[in-house]
Amino acid sequence: MNLTINALGSEIVLKQEISLEPASSTLKDVLRALQDRYGTTLGRFVKDDLTPTEGSVILVNGRNIESLERFETRIHDGDELTFTVLVAGG
Amino acid sequence: MKGLQGKLLDVDLTLGKTKDLTIPEQNFRKYLGGRGLGARLLFDLLPPRTDPFSPENPLIFLTGPLTGSMVTGSSKFVVVTKSPLTHGWCDSYSSGRISVELKKAGYDGLVIRGKSNHPCYLRIADDGIEIREADWIWGKDSHSTERMLKDIDRNHSAGVSSIGPAGENLCKFACINSDLYRQAGRGGLGAVMGSKRLKAIVVKGTQEIDLHDRKKLIELNRENYQRALKSRVAQARMKYGTPLTLNITHAGGILPTKNFQFSTWDKALEKIDSVGVYKSVKSHKSCLSCFVHCSLVTEVSEGKYKGITLEGPEYETLGMFGSNQLIDDLPSIMQANLLCDQLGMDTVDTGNVIGFMMECFERGLISPNQTEGLEIRFGDPEASLAAIEMIAYRKGVGDILAEGVRTAANYVGNESDRFAMHVKGMGFPAYEPRGSFGTGLSYAVSPRGACHRRAWPPAIEILGGTPPYTVERKAEMIKAMYDENCVLHSLLVCDMPAKFIPMSLDVYSEYFHSVTGESISKNDFLTIAGRIETLIRMFNLREGFTRKDDTLPYRTLFEPLPDGPGKGQSVGEENLNRMIDDYYACRGWDSLGIPTPSTLQTYELSNEELHP
Repeated sequence: MNLTINALGSEIVLKQEISLEPASSTLKDVLRALQDRYGTTLGRFVKDDLTPTEGSVILVNGRNIESLERFETRIHDGDELTFTVLVAGG
Repeated sequence: MKGLQGKLLDVDLTLGKTKDLTIPEQNFRKYLGGRGLGARLLFDLLPPRTDPFSPENPLIFLTGPLTGSMVTGSSKFVVVTKSPLTHGWCDSYSSGRISVELKKAGYDGLVIRGKSNHPCYLRIADDGIEIREADWIWGKDSHSTERMLKDIDRNHSAGVSSIGPAGENLCKFACINSDLYRQAGRGGLGAVMGSKRLKAIVVKGTQEIDLHDRKKLIELNRENYQRALKSRVAQARMKYGTPLTLNITHAGGILPTKNFQFSTWDKALEKIDSVGVYKSVKSHKSCLSCFVHCSLVTEVSEGKYKGITLEGPEYETLGMFGSNQLIDDLPSIMQANLLCDQLGMDTVDTGNVIGFMMECFERGLISPNQTEGLEIRFGDPEASLAAIEMIAYRKGVGDILAEGVRTAANYVGNESDRFAMHVKGMGFPAYEPRGSFGTGLSYAVSPRGACHRRAWPPAIEILGGTPPYTVERKAEMIKAMYDENCVLHSLLVCDMPAKFIPMSLDVYSEYFHSVTGESISKNDFLTIAGRIETLIRMFNLREGFTRKDDTLPYRTLFEPLPDGPGKGQSVGEENLNRMIDDYYACRGWDSLGIPTPSTLQTYELSNEELHP
């Protein structure tokens, strides 16, 4: 599965292309696969139990997972995952 | 009540006289200050249906009860008037030393009425209050004006607010500039100041401000500073400033692109977003009285604009001069930002109307013959910069553009009003409502026109768990956001620390008590907010606004988004009407948006005020 990853926090990573082979196409399995590979970086946004850390949000193709199927959201080849701190105003 | 001076300076520029205007303490309890007191004053002082450029239209500068204390984010002020852009209510906010200096000079604000028969500036200091001749600075840009006034007074710690040539030339989105890089930007306040031939206000005060419990206030600041240090949200904001927002609006599909035709723009990434701007950062800065340094001081390091430096660009400018015009050259956007600041124009409405003209050119609705040979096309920074100057000096087509995007669409005709992106005449700021229906509702019902400062729905619809393309509970969401910001804008503190530390209204209740000695609970604050928003609604109704003005442009309502997470979405008339019905209902207004008798009673507002 090919994914695009963005991370918006104290350090910013944009449009990083990665290939993963998660156990299933659910977000929870994709996150587990990501944790295995990017544990430290991802740890700023996702706790060991896969829930977002305080002040963090996970977007799948620009949509908050809370307005999708949460950790059961199906991830497809080519999808974009954004891990971000909350932002307010501009 | 401590923390307040209890009076405003009432300036009559026609007579060249000033006097004190006492504000009953009861009015501070009912309206707090800032936006709230401004609503009461504008309603009472402006004769109904007065032209915005009439000498009778007051230009009201107000601080709040927390101004001049050490509460973080408390060096803000608001300017209230009848807008020449919308012909309705206008409140616009800015940081600036002038807020604190006014309080220290013994005033909670200024009411400026009349019209001088020659250019003038107002000087307030310990040695007196004077209306001085300003021929020698009329025509100067706002940066030169501020520097020259400080030089001549040999007082570089004075607060100065001024207008640039755009305000003098009555550009209807001219701003008021303070501390070089801070603007009360929206709604054309600078043009009202220009119509009064008032070039600037200089204030230096030395009085102590009496605080109820200084020790408690310091303790609260310490606590909240520690929380800011631990907050990842605050830390990211302090490092990247508002440009970080562009990465979110792009990811969430609400980034205005090509005059709001699209909602994402890959070319913005690493060029005009948090990453791009961060490369130009020289230092970080905070406003006076704030421990959150979220302002970026940037400098162009190479190329044609090498050496220019400014505070910014903020997200709004990056959106409206960047993606919305398909310009990905950061130095050009920084130059546009600087030009708008110096000439004294709102970067939101300026960027909006230029984006509109670019689409008109692309569609062949306008030709270079109508624009003195200038072709204003998407992706052309030189044309964009040329257009800024034409607008400020009302040269050629700039004379039309200076009236705002609604009037520009009337000039172009050919159904161009379908993509003139405004509400009540005020241009859309940098959020695409088709990707965030709550943003659509917020723009539509805002009393000052399309406004991003009363509510920030992306916090809930993009970053929160609420679906963005639905209408359920959006009215309650917008009312709650409006009311919280109304309290902050009436206490007159920056709403940013409240959002990203975060600090709830309970925290501000403690701050309020430490400054004034008065106890107002969060719920009491929210009741006051309901009163203020209802009074502002009554003002606009009195000025001739109706429900039909609470609407959105054709593009937003009917054209499906062609890209991004919201691909295929449009707000739709039925959806908008339902959200507006719900919003009016939760405000206690009837289906026409008129406050009901019981609502007026709840808020202790007089029925006669609605039908004077």
